[in-house]
Amino acid sequence: MKIKHLVWLRRCSQAFFLLLFVFLVVESRLPQDFYLDYTQLVNGEQEIRLQQPVTIFFQADPLVWLTSLISGHVLIKGFGWALVVLVLTLVFGRVFCGFICPFGALHHLFSYVRPALNGKRLAKANSSTGSRRVKYFILILLLTAAFAGVNFAGIMDPISLFFRSLALAVLPGAGTGLKEMFDFMAHTDIKALNYLSYTAEVLVSPVFGYGYQAFTTGWLIGTIFLLILFLNRIQTRFWCRTLCPLGALLGLCSRFSILGLSKDIDRCTQCGKCTQSCAGAAQPVPGESWQKSDCLMCFNCHNTCPAGAVVFKWRRPVNGAGPDMGRRAVLGGLTAGVSLPFLSRLDGQIHKVSDARLIRPPGSLPEKDFVSLCQRCGQCMKACPTNVINPALTEGGLAGFWTPNLIMTRGYCEYTCTLCGSVCPTGAIKNITIREKVETPVSIGSAYFDRGRCLPWSGNGPCIVCVEHCPTSPKAIYFYEGEVIGPDNTRVKVKLPQVDLKRCVGCGICENKCVVKGRPAIRVIAAGESRSVRNQIML
Amino acid sequence: MKSEHSITRRESIKKLLRLWGGLSLGGASLISLPGIKPANASANASRFLVDGVGRTQGYSVKALTRKIFDAVGGMEKFVSKGDVVAIKPNISWARAPQLAATTNPEVLEAVVELCQEAGAKKVRIVDHTIHGAKRCFAINGAGMAAKNTGADLVHPRSSLMRDMKMGGNRLDVWPVFTPVVEADTLINLPVAKVHALSSLTLGMKNWIGAVGGRRNALHQDIHQTIVDLAHFFKPDVTLIDATRVMVRNGPSGGSPSDVAVMNRLILSNDPVAADARAARLFDFEPDSIGFVQIGHQQGLGVYDTAISRQLEVAV
Repeated sequence: MKIKHLVWLRRCSQAFFLLLFVFLVVESRLPQDFYLDYTQLVNGEQEIRLQQPVTIFFQADPLVWLTSLISGHVLIKGFGWALVVLVLTLVFGRVFCGFICPFGALHHLFSYVRPALNGKRLAKANSSTGSRRVKYFILILLLTAAFAGVNFAGIMDPISLFFRSLALAVLPGAGTGLKEMFDFMAHTDIKALNYLSYTAEVLVSPVFGYGYQAFTTGWLIGTIFLLILFLNRIQTRFWCRTLCPLGALLGLCSRFSILGLSKDIDRCTQCGKCTQSCAGAAQPVPGESWQKSDCLMCFNCHNTCPAGAVVFKWRRPVNGAGPDMGRRAVLGGLTAGVSLPFLSRLDGQIHKVSDARLIRPPGSLPEKDFVSLCQRCGQCMKACPTNVINPALTEGGLAGFWTPNLIMTRGYCEYTCTLCGSVCPTGAIKNITIREKVETPVSIGSAYFDRGRCLPWSGNGPCIVCVEHCPTSPKAIYFYEGEVIGPDNTRVKVKLPQVDLKRCVGCGICENKCVVKGRPAIRVIAAGESRSVRNQIML
Repeated sequence: MKSEHSITRRESIKKLLRLWGGLSLGGASLISLPGIKPANASANASRFLVDGVGRTQGYSVKALTRKIFDAVGGMEKFVSKGDVVAIKPNISWARAPQLAATTNPEVLEAVVELCQEAGAKKVRIVDHTIHGAKRCFAINGAGMAAKNTGADLVHPRSSLMRDMKMGGNRLDVWPVFTPVVEADTLINLPVAKVHALSSLTLGMKNWIGAVGGRRNALHQDIHQTIVDLAHFFKPDVTLIDATRVMVRNGPSGGSPSDVAVMNRLILSNDPVAADARAARLFDFEPDSIGFVQIGHQQGLGVYDTAISRQLEVAV
């Protein structure tokens, strides 16, 4: 195979995996046009599962595998793919970064289509600097913290970061824009626009649905994403070179790879093209030592060299050519990694009292195990059909930053839905069945009334919307006919709702549907969640 | 009361027409004019009430549905060739059909088929669901019924909600799920259930699923708002599904033990009479149900006993 073909093969592979990734992000929702055959149904326990293997990229991510092993002591499902990636890296170097990583492919696209720099300035930007050590700092920090049981890998892991950015910021952003356009078109008096709106909305519904997801802190996730993309204007593939902890891990493994760059200094004309085209700032130019662990295996240098002075060849790994991590990066990473778990426990969230607003998805592990496994990738949030799962900002404390949190004013937990657990890549949310969820029952919290706000209790008339929506049978919210004092000292006979804590599963549909908006008259708190022994209410 | 109402209705239609702009009368088939058909002129003689009973073990629900329409001259009485038909079932809950929280999909499928046989150009299944629509359609059988028959299953969404003049006693302007009114024929296809607040949910209450907005606030005066909505929507015919009925934990239920099998269907062009008859299935006197009583008082319809043309079919 000629080198030119190999470069094109790389571009095709990058495009394929980038598109596949985006496709799987989009597919992380209830299957489209999927209907259970009602003649075959005997009860409500038919599981609905996603039709695509949406977690495959997480399974192929060695950093996810390693941190969940170290931190949560579990081997995640499908981790064999991660081992395949490691073996590939041991043989070929960071080919994952060059050929497979969808986030890397996106950066590659942003860096090479209309680059911001050219000539000498580009060559300078693509020269190796000490900043490459930052990624080792981050990697060591994450692994050390994982040893102490707090898994922050997902905040920096490229697959998690990319998924989270697309699912919680990019798609909702585009969706909200479209929705406003459709609403505007549908509410004009121009018939053609009405029809156009109707048709267009049906056409985009496989991607956006009709509900248009939106997430708390989506703005933060989106800003960080844009910032990371913008960094490509300063340095080619800035993220991959400087920040990516997965790149750092693969860089360490690439040490033993047998595909190497061989340089012929006699042929070199010092034209500098190899450096200019280098995606990883790996010093391809003859006369300098090749930074194997920084090489993204893009084969640009080999392809671009007019003199044939830099060529990739099979060869024995050179002894002692380990990655240049820098002592400060290693020590700094260790220090920060040891500090972080302490810092994240300072608020007492894990061992003492957790935030009443922190409501985890059904089937979540106890909090300590949860934060040691959750990748904060947003997979559960994207898949949730009611948009109730949102990335926590402060509710989970430092250790729970961006972990899934249910906000009942935004959605509610569907009584017979277990989609979040079925898509969780690390098992932080267990893959429970509907039968388990309903019969155990898996409770995520409990509801309580704010009688000052509740219409019947406050003498403002009948309501009991909460009773109507309560999904358990018999209902956890019941009522009795009672008398309250209403306006002008009148006695008002109304149905007064109350919560039976033994039956309440904390699904939150009562809070979601309550007519008192913003801060509803019935609210769900984490108390009573079945995953936590400490949080139990009843004897 | 009655004449006053018909004026507001005409006004609302005029407003609708203005909203949709520049529409020639020839193209009016897309726009709803429910209520101006002679069949709805509510001369007592044209009112009917048909009871359908499934007597035999393992009877066909579809056959019963067909037979109950045949008793009053077939679906052709309500649907003309080229009509756009909107069917409003209660498919608001993501519950398996056996739990009787939603309209029996077999009945729904049969009604769609009858409309198609009568020459309907388009049959739309419309309901503004309570649970997420996608899960509702997937689980309660409505999606499968639409797929089997080729009917349009309209996803409720904000772009299809439009403020309309109700002119009711309690509701003045309220957002309406437009596909419900943009049809030549409107068929109400509720399921009969017990309800925590309104005692029962039958045909007239089904219209809460045809509006948007802050509809949970309707509970504060549920009986009058139900009657206001029923006045506004006024279907061509109501078929109440009581094949399986929820007898406790309504309206959401959730357990097979909440369900009683009754094998009954009730068809009427009088919304009050249909509900009154269905109320008796639960051992309620019609005037003990607030919205039935108010509907009767405000001239929306009459009690079942006042209907002269009463029939019974059985399979």
